[in-house]
Amino acid sequence: MISISPKALAPGSDTSFTKKLDLTNLTPEQVALDINKLNLFYGKKQALNNISMSIPKGQVTAFIGPSGCGKSTLLRSINRMNDLVDDCHITGEINLHGNNIYDKHIDVAELRRKVGMVFQRPNPFPKTIYENVVYGLRIMGENNRRKLDEAAEQSLRSAALWNEVKDRLHESALGLSGGQQQRLVIARAIAIQPEVLLLDEPTSALDPISTLTIEELINDLKKQFTVVIVTHNMQQAARVSDQTAFMYMGDLIEYSDTNTLFTTPLKKKTEDYITGRYG
Amino acid sequence: MATLISSNRSRGIKNSLAKWLITLGGISVLFTLVLIFMYLLYVVKPIFESAKIEQAVNINIDSTSNEKVLGSGVDELKELAYQITAAGNIDFYHLKASDPKADNQFTVGDNSLSTSLFVSDDFNEEQVIKVVNSFSQNKLLHTTKGKTLLIQPSFYATYANDTREIIPQVNYPLGQESLIIDEQQIPLSQLAFAIDDERIVFVGFTEDKRLIKTSFIAEDDFSSSNGDDVGYETIFQQIEIFDDVIDGNIDEIKVTPDLSLAFIRSASTVYVYSLNDDEEVSLKATIRPILDNENTYLTSMGLLSGSSSVLLGDSSGRVSQWFEVATDDGRQFKQIRSFKADNDQASSDNVEYDNKSQLSNAITAIYTEQYRKSFYTMTRSGMVNAFYTTSAAHLWQGQLTSTQPETFAIAPRANGLIVIVNDPLDVHKKSLQVFSVHNEHPEVTWQALWQEVWYEGYPEPDYVWQSTSGSDDFEGKFSLVPISFGTIKAALYAMLFAVPIALTAAIYTAYFMTPGLRKKVKPTIEMMEALPTVILGFLAGLWLAPIMEEYLPAIFLLFIFLPLATLITAFSWHKLPNQLKEKLPETLAPILLIPVIILATYVAFSLSPVLEDSLFNGDMRQYLTNDLGIDFDQRNALVVGIAMGFAVIPTIFSMAEDAIFSVPGHLTSGSLALGATQWQTLIGVVLLTASPGIFSAIMMGLGRAVGETMIVLMATGNTPILDWSIFQGMRTLAANIAVEMPESEVGSSHYRILFLAAFVLFIFTFIFNTAAEFVRQRLREKYSSM
Repeated sequence: MISISPKALAPGSDTSFTKKLDLTNLTPEQVALDINKLNLFYGKKQALNNISMSIPKGQVTAFIGPSGCGKSTLLRSINRMNDLVDDCHITGEINLHGNNIYDKHIDVAELRRKVGMVFQRPNPFPKTIYENVVYGLRIMGENNRRKLDEAAEQSLRSAALWNEVKDRLHESALGLSGGQQQRLVIARAIAIQPEVLLLDEPTSALDPISTLTIEELINDLKKQFTVVIVTHNMQQAARVSDQTAFMYMGDLIEYSDTNTLFTTPLKKKTEDYITGRYG
Repeated sequence: MATLISSNRSRGIKNSLAKWLITLGGISVLFTLVLIFMYLLYVVKPIFESAKIEQAVNINIDSTSNEKVLGSGVDELKELAYQITAAGNIDFYHLKASDPKADNQFTVGDNSLSTSLFVSDDFNEEQVIKVVNSFSQNKLLHTTKGKTLLIQPSFYATYANDTREIIPQVNYPLGQESLIIDEQQIPLSQLAFAIDDERIVFVGFTEDKRLIKTSFIAEDDFSSSNGDDVGYETIFQQIEIFDDVIDGNIDEIKVTPDLSLAFIRSASTVYVYSLNDDEEVSLKATIRPILDNENTYLTSMGLLSGSSSVLLGDSSGRVSQWFEVATDDGRQFKQIRSFKADNDQASSDNVEYDNKSQLSNAITAIYTEQYRKSFYTMTRSGMVNAFYTTSAAHLWQGQLTSTQPETFAIAPRANGLIVIVNDPLDVHKKSLQVFSVHNEHPEVTWQALWQEVWYEGYPEPDYVWQSTSGSDDFEGKFSLVPISFGTIKAALYAMLFAVPIALTAAIYTAYFMTPGLRKKVKPTIEMMEALPTVILGFLAGLWLAPIMEEYLPAIFLLFIFLPLATLITAFSWHKLPNQLKEKLPETLAPILLIPVIILATYVAFSLSPVLEDSLFNGDMRQYLTNDLGIDFDQRNALVVGIAMGFAVIPTIFSMAEDAIFSVPGHLTSGSLALGATQWQTLIGVVLLTASPGIFSAIMMGLGRAVGETMIVLMATGNTPILDWSIFQGMRTLAANIAVEMPESEVGSSHYRILFLAAFVLFIFTFIFNTAAEFVRQRLREKYSSM
């Protein structure tokens, strides 16, 4: 019977000062992503049921829910990583700048440059730290050494990793600790200046200290990017996010600002979940 | 708490039993490997051992008459030795019995017990002045009065009382009467002869300074007669002596055992006469060796086994080898190499001048073995050196006797030396000494195996592997360079064919293929590995090679057509409208390739005659050989490359595919999520991460190609040549061992060199695998995935 106040859990965060948005009635300028009647099937099994939501620009939106509720699937739909899954079939739309990303004219590689993603397990490439960070720029054809250097430093600073690795940029990234690797992966994702950054349970494989560092980082990142985070750690969602969506069995049950969702949930299922009755 | 003591004893026993069994298994694998290694080394080791000569028997001979001993010899088993004295006696000695004097046991001719070789009345109180040896067991006795007798000491074994006994016998191949060699019957100061089945040729120098050649031509056959009534025709000829021969003197004469050449030495010049023509003896060449300085001169001459080489020894102790070499100006005698014992005894302290002001290390005689290219040199002080010409090896050096021996002979099997020496302190005492020679593998040295060697009859030094021939006195050519080269060439051409195909197939299967199809394709290709290579070799040698010879342009067209056809098909599939593609099963794309490939092959083969007609004057193979001067073997590197390529493709494919497939999905996703295309992800992340595995796959394939035997045996033609040409064959180490091992005599040099070849092969694969493992470890440290 613990009701969680975001303030109590994360005294450093100042979500209370964020102006509450009316999530059902956002102006086009405020919307980063508009999900419209999205259905997703793995073969014949439906994994997402008619999801419609708008994700606001420059804010942190968290997807929470019990395992298998479809929150990761929804996240992966946003940069079409589900395309890699066989038998995955989608109806409905996700609009980015008013363009449906499932439109057949969309270049998936281009979409993924705009919508970056960080995965659950740190996945640096077996290359140097430097080469990891500039990988995205290199595949875009950027080879100007000075520009790459600048971008690398910029992104590593943004990911709060610069001071730790600036002396060993040309050593293997695999020598970093798990938390450093995850920040490196975030640096790699933001080096190509995406508009949206998708974080898929970014701290679930990390220790509490690294988790804290990443959470602070997320707070900084929203100044530049729209952040969407999937987490099954409700406290984390409460600490880092501005908006929270609760999903259950492929349905979007409740979507509101974090404070409201955790303090005065409208739905019974949400309340049961956040109070720990299941999950 | 009591349950901390193991409640289940059988579990503990099983555990420790398993532990011991696994340890035992591991250790025995290692032990077997070491054992194989040790055995190879054990067989190979003797060829690198230096020669040993040690005294075996020393028999004192009472020589009250102070008779000179002119010749000596021994039977093949080194049980009976004999000496021929100036009085014309032959004395046999048992080398193994307690009482060595054995002259009451032997029979001469028709069971006579006489020890005198002079049976006929022709020889009356004559003294032998000269015993002339030939390469066969025949000896020529020449007396003070100019009479000559041909004898053949021989031995046969009886097994009375179940013990082997060697019985000596003296044969007279041309009868017991004196032979007439000089028409004028004037004693000869120099004499040489050679004998074969039909002819005997004598070349002599009479005391009145005539150089003569006398030929006996058998009416029937010399070898079949028992010496009683041999009919032969005699041809006497006189050889013109050139004016530049000093004082008309001849110092030494040698006749080659094939009766073709006579080498006549006068001071430091050697005249070579051709004896082939019964009508006329012509001067073929003149050899004037370049000597160290003006005080050096030739002192002796010897003929090497095999009738090709002459050895010239000089007063400085140097021996040079000469043989005929094809040059632009026809065949000429050339100095090939020279041998000098760098003994400090001779060069520094003991530089003595005897009364003829001759250096003590001047070569007084050169003794050559009957079958091998070994020779011994003797100096005035009794210093003996043993050399082997082909390998340029200085085998042995030492003093067998304190003074120069009276006679020196090499045992028939070259495993002993028989020396009769005067006791320097007592003129009435002589001793017969037998030395055993351990010198089984003089032809093998590091240089002979790995460096260019100038073989007899070759125009220049070369790397040659030719281990056997029809003749006994053949010079074995054991260069491992051509067969090691062949191994590498075959492996490289195979890799050239296999690596691109296997790797692209692995990439496609692991990275692009649908899982369902992959499950079928991968085991199918892996099953190819189980195909016996003898079938591949058989198909390549007997089916593919003739087709490739006939349709050569088609084969080269295929190398262009097949990739092109594949790419065009893939591109068309890619451009197919999506609706249509969705309706078709996805496995159709690769299956679609089958008719395309068949069509491309058909087109290539149909175009082949057209191309031949238009570009290659009707026949590409003829065009290559005649117009471009490129040699073409039917079984060549191209055939081997393709056949062995097929054999190694499954190895490389299987390992590389595993490596690529096991690249973690989160790395691929990570790259794709950064906006990389499939291709960029493949190059930038997947191949990089899989590189240790891909590298080991290639090295495993290379190791397999190096060690592969049956395919190269059947499809290379097995010609040990050094040529990178794709149209020429090769012989590999493995095939060489397979071909020659059944024919080689156990324990011979050839046998041991084949083991050495096996050892080299072992080292090759060892190096490849170690390098592969080393690089793989390094790559793995650098690129290992998490």
